[in-house]
Amino acid sequence: MGSNSTEKALSILRYLPRCKKRGRGQHGGDKHGAGNKGSGQRQNYMRLGYETGNNPFYLRFPHEPYYQGHHLRRQYPPLSMLELQTLIDTNRIDPTKPIDLVAILNTGLYKLFPDQKQFGVHLTDEGADVFKTKVNIEVQWANEIVIAAIERAGGVITTAYFDQHSLQAMLNTKKFFERGVPIPRRMMPPPDAIEYYSDPDKRGYLADPEKISQQRLVLAQKFGYLLPKIEEDPEYEMLLERKDPRQIFYGLHPGWVVNLKDKVILKPEEQELQRYYAS
Amino acid sequence: MSNFWQNFVKIAWRVPPVRLYSSTGYKSAISLENLYPGSSLKLTTPKPPNQEQEKFTGYIPIEELDITYSRSTGPGGQNVNKVNTKVEIKFHVNKATWINEDIKIKLAEKFKNKITKEGFAIFRSDLTRSQQLNLADCLEKIRASVRSCEIEETKPPEETEEKIRRRLERASRERLALKRGRSQVKSDRQAPQ
Repeated sequence: MGSNSTEKALSILRYLPRCKKRGRGQHGGDKHGAGNKGSGQRQNYMRLGYETGNNPFYLRFPHEPYYQGHHLRRQYPPLSMLELQTLIDTNRIDPTKPIDLVAILNTGLYKLFPDQKQFGVHLTDEGADVFKTKVNIEVQWANEIVIAAIERAGGVITTAYFDQHSLQAMLNTKKFFERGVPIPRRMMPPPDAIEYYSDPDKRGYLADPEKISQQRLVLAQKFGYLLPKIEEDPEYEMLLERKDPRQIFYGLHPGWVVNLKDKVILKPEEQELQRYYAS
Repeated sequence: MSNFWQNFVKIAWRVPPVRLYSSTGYKSAISLENLYPGSSLKLTTPKPPNQEQEKFTGYIPIEELDITYSRSTGPGGQNVNKVNTKVEIKFHVNKATWINEDIKIKLAEKFKNKITKEGFAIFRSDLTRSQQLNLADCLEKIRASVRSCEIEETKPPEETEEKIRRRLERASRERLALKRGRSQVKSDRQAPQ
């Protein structure tokens, strides 16, 4: 059915003039399709888009893409390894427990503003050569020098993503619990961040731990240090401790309500709620 | 407001004072168990690759290398005066377990400028401002050297060699002919003897 009409259209096109041909002879003659005077007849044509002097359409609307996509750009305020070592040395952070964003924020010396599109800690490599503590640390961004420094000291580093609501909860945990709201689930990273957090190179929290083990050896070979045998470490269990991708706090599940006044934790009993918080 | 709490059952469960970070066994739908069903989900130390292979795998046992740090040369003020950023790696070529015997011979011949009389190969680097990166650069130099010895240099076939020889000969001939021509021009400007 469709082919009939297209065939017809094509057959009509065969007889239609394909382009404006130059007028030659009898009725195509006289001015030969070039009009009267002006640039057209004198073959001194105006440039494409020119509108005889008024501001042409293609210049009317300026393109100034200074803030294009600014709402999608994530910021990770830096924390140097030197600062981290100082925090550990001055007993502000306990290296015998897993360190995460909550632990760093609780020191009060690192500030984060999630409403200004700040998404967490960027551990920088300043002081990487003097870092000697064995830690299990969870940050939001780290380069390979930082990863190498932490693994050389016998520790474990993971990069994890926290969405805005989770960050607000982590900023002031006491205030969050006082609201009496159940702990939310942590959301998945946005599409442009999923690759980063699934990469074993970057020790992403969504990456396969077996591949991460391989990458540990690769990095040790690259930076020339002996990879410490993590299985024989007495703190192996602590170093292996990790949050679930939907978990915000160590030891607390999404859906729980923490009552600090009565020192109880309320857990959902309703099937629907349990299914939601485990999804 | 009280209806809100009907969905929850109050459990008088004290928050344990010690071991706050005990693994409570929370598993969501996107936990690592569900993302990677076949994985052991544990961090282990993998064994280094098999040394008996013919090809160099890139693995270097770091304990067999003698690494020394010193201060770098060049400008840099207080930093270059104080910080040990230069890295020197020494290893005995013949005693190295991670290089094949035939590659050792080639290495000794190709990099004889880097090997001392006693047979120690020395690789240095002060490329960057960081000791760690310089160490990485040194190791990369060693690996690149070993790999360059593995590549078999292919000689061009006789036809190509013949072509190249003819080309060079022709170029020489033309150059000499031009030279002769110029010389003739110069001599024509003089009065005939």
